[in-house]
Amino acid sequence: MKKRTMQDKMNRQYLLLILPGMAIFTVGVILPLLLAFRYSVTSWDGMSVEKQFVGISNYINLWKDANFRQAWWFTIKFTIANTIVQNVFALLFAVALDSGIKAQKVYRTILFIPCLVSAVIVGFVWLKLYSNVLPELNEIFGTNINFLLFGDGKTVLSGLVIANNWQWIGYWMLIYLAGLQSVPSDLYEAAKVDGANAVQRFFNVTIPMLAPAITICVVGITTGSLKVYDLLVSSTGGGPGRASTSVIQMIYATAISGRQYGYGSAMSVTLVFILLLVAMIQVKGLKSKEVQS
Amino acid sequence: MKKKLLSAILCSAMIAGTLAGCGGSSDGGAAQAPAAEPATEGEAPADETAEAQEEAPAASADGEEVTLTVLAGQSTTDAGIEDMIDEALAAKYPNITLEWECTGWDGEFHPKMQQYMQSGLPDIIIGKAQDVNTYASQGLLGEIDATYLDRGLDAARENVTIDGKTYGLVYNALYQGVYYNKTMFAENGWSVPATQDELQAIIDDCKAKGITPFASHMVDTWSIGNVTMQFMMNDVFNNTPDWGDKFRAGEVTFADDKAAQTAYSYNKLIFDNTYPETFSTEQTDCDARMVLGEAAMKVSGSWSIQNFLDIDENFDFGIFPFPNQTGDSKLIFEPNIAIMTSAETEHQDAVNCVLDVLSGDKDLAVEILDFTKTASMLKDVVPTFTNPSQVDIDEYASKGMIVDVTLGNNQLVWGGFQEENASDIAAYLQGDISFEECLSASDARVGSSSAQ
Amino acid sequence: MAILKRAKMAEEMNQKPYTKSTLAVQVVMTVVALLFLFPLFVILNYSFKTKKELYLTSPLKLPDSLQWANYEAALKKLNLTTTFTNTFIYTAISVLILALLCGITAWAISRGKGKFFQFSFVYFVIGILIPFQALFLPIYTIGYKMHLTNTRYGIVFMYIATGISFGVFLMNSFVSTVPLELEEAARIDGCSVVKTYFIIVFPLLKPAFATLIIMQSFQIWNDYLLASLYVSKKGLKTLTVAIQSLFSAQASDYTTAMAAIVVSVLPISILFLSLQKYFIKGMTVGAVKG
Repeated sequence: MKKRTMQDKMNRQYLLLILPGMAIFTVGVILPLLLAFRYSVTSWDGMSVEKQFVGISNYINLWKDANFRQAWWFTIKFTIANTIVQNVFALLFAVALDSGIKAQKVYRTILFIPCLVSAVIVGFVWLKLYSNVLPELNEIFGTNINFLLFGDGKTVLSGLVIANNWQWIGYWMLIYLAGLQSVPSDLYEAAKVDGANAVQRFFNVTIPMLAPAITICVVGITTGSLKVYDLLVSSTGGGPGRASTSVIQMIYATAISGRQYGYGSAMSVTLVFILLLVAMIQVKGLKSKEVQS
Repeated sequence: MKKKLLSAILCSAMIAGTLAGCGGSSDGGAAQAPAAEPATEGEAPADETAEAQEEAPAASADGEEVTLTVLAGQSTTDAGIEDMIDEALAAKYPNITLEWECTGWDGEFHPKMQQYMQSGLPDIIIGKAQDVNTYASQGLLGEIDATYLDRGLDAARENVTIDGKTYGLVYNALYQGVYYNKTMFAENGWSVPATQDELQAIIDDCKAKGITPFASHMVDTWSIGNVTMQFMMNDVFNNTPDWGDKFRAGEVTFADDKAAQTAYSYNKLIFDNTYPETFSTEQTDCDARMVLGEAAMKVSGSWSIQNFLDIDENFDFGIFPFPNQTGDSKLIFEPNIAIMTSAETEHQDAVNCVLDVLSGDKDLAVEILDFTKTASMLKDVVPTFTNPSQVDIDEYASKGMIVDVTLGNNQLVWGGFQEENASDIAAYLQGDISFEECLSASDARVGSSSAQ
Repeated sequence: MAILKRAKMAEEMNQKPYTKSTLAVQVVMTVVALLFLFPLFVILNYSFKTKKELYLTSPLKLPDSLQWANYEAALKKLNLTTTFTNTFIYTAISVLILALLCGITAWAISRGKGKFFQFSFVYFVIGILIPFQALFLPIYTIGYKMHLTNTRYGIVFMYIATGISFGVFLMNSFVSTVPLELEEAARIDGCSVVKTYFIIVFPLLKPAFATLIIMQSFQIWNDYLLASLYVSKKGLKTLTVAIQSLFSAQASDYTTAMAAIVVSVLPISILFLSLQKYFIKGMTVGAVKG
């Protein structure tokens, strides 16, 4: 009984400590979200004074909107490709740098610098690379590689994934590298004694020990990719056609340029819910793996 | 029960939060404010010794320091004119400072406008003539005094006037059409085509000789949208000036209207007769290829001239309207920079001073026009830059074969309609959707075709 | 101990002559590094060219002479001293407050018992997922109504509000590694809750703070959206906003734009290079949990 009141008393104090953060968060993030939800049941154009209530018709229309589906499809493909490629290469490069090669720091720095450049600029630079610079290599070497990745709906995804990876691999690599360097060497030696070869050691010792780093990287890359926007603005602009239009880009175009703020808000709300779902599944899944290992 | 309690706690947390949040944040602000203050100083030209102010509007310019906010939605060629305006203003009204916020008209301008509708518009807004239609109808723009409007061409007023009130001072104009390499045309014995057949003949001859007929840059969706409106002007609005209104009334549709379909299909003509990497090429590279003689023609507008001449000051080019089915295409003219004012500005006098400089300072006007390579919309102001295509423009003008594209842009708005249709056209060119799908997509968008 | 040993081992390995496999890795990584450098070389190369050279010569060709004029123009347009100072101040103050706030919030959430605390964790973490680009109008509306727009504290407030989610998420996993016995001992000694936090928990979380600060600094330093919404006035602008507006306006004059990129990336790169050791240490700890 006494313990219980003690815990209650403590709980009250903990509650007080949470409140300031919660207040700031609520005002800056949740209120806008609620406001967006409110707009999403109106046909507001973003400008006029009246906001006419239209119920859930915006959400119903979303189901029928082929462009919205296409934007989702692109975003999902982009996210999956990024999550796989970025994690694999970041880990691979980290292992390579950790394998005792010379001048490790130099490589680390070189791979890291691109993430200091803002995504809008990265997009523009890669547009130039694909259209002007890289084709020049064909001339020099007499090869015939198709570098015009942004120019075709079939290759635009790979082009964007490459650009995005150029920017972010170094960042995630650092996290993996850090994880690797903190794996106690005794573990490796023990595995060696047990007769595990290098590959087995990697999968049985390294990967489990890296679990927390993997969680951070996977969640970071997935949620970041689902929100892709800046990179597209100055590179493909969502094209060719609608081949690389992401969900956020479509929301922006609909709500702002298209003056359908209500409809665009419905898209935002949908996106938030789906993001939420994905992250919850991911965190649950990865956390349970962490515990197992 | 539990839920109710939870939400009650949450609600109280939110309320408490609002209060605590404000307090906390302003503390943070107070701590940092002094540190960064010095950096912002020293920008306002505080030269009080004003020259004698002739024709100063009203009582304004008696030395009281005023800072006006300006939101400028610029085309790529406009970047830099803000410095010229600042300089001219400082010479005449040193007490007025402009605080510029320059954005791309195509990108951040409209989001910024929507943002400022929540909090009050900047004192001066610089956009395009078609913006007047969008924003004046919301009651946001102030009427512009006749003193300044009278310094502009009468033609400039037409499309920025609503119910007899004029809300924009149109400063300059662009021409749009097909730019062609004069030297190349002369060498190959081509003459300016007036009909589709004549154009096709040139295209065929180009192909026979291994010349790329058109330079184009389809990575920019705006470019596809722009040329489509050019086509619409001469094949659709030419015969049916109120096509957009009829479209909304349900009398015409893209799926049924042959003329509109023809206009859309010209995009395919260009696409089939341009270099294969058009969907990887953006404007500056495209202009460069044109100058370097890699293509004979380019459907474009005056915004290309700056690039053409930057790359080769001796590049000889002309302009003709893209031929329509009836062979009576007109050269397209677009009022470009339009200066608008907020209906609720607190400094109307100072705003008028700025309008006075913009409409009255002819040296400034010439400087801006020469820089942007555009035509004047002010009386008695003639730019001095060499524009090889001016001869052609003058000729079409003298024959009355010029049409203001604002007619089309007001009926079928850019954002949400033309822009989206352009994406569909690109998808069609890429083979992602059929021509019919592309047309019906435009029809489905009828609800967002007007700004009202 | 084990970590130290391993680091030492790695160092020893650096001295060792190549084996076949390390040599292969060395070669492969050199190629990778060159590929990563290539776009940076292109930016640098463009930034020194004249507009004519840009179009008339091969993009790979070095400029005939270095066009420092591009840099002069870029510096002037970027208003570097002001924008750099602004960005630095917003970033520094935001991350410091964030570190303080997130640490104590995450701790309280994890120590509190009951559904409300579980709920608050989820409530905070939702924020990681919210696409702010899609909410910019409501964000502005609320900011404006609360007089936060075009103020320094307003933008800091927003960075805290939007960064707190990730911060709580990150700190939460660290807090669970702090042994409860220590806290209980402190409490028996009569420490209040807040005092317990600052005396016992706070020092143990230091490495985690480093991680949080570094990761958030990146986010805030590169932020475009909130900065463009909240601080559009000239004296308040951040570097990213300045470079972006220069970029969209000067797309046709991208020699200047490229010079601006170099100018804006240089200071932060130097900062990174000189603090690399701490940087990586900070990031590391986060990834492997103290």
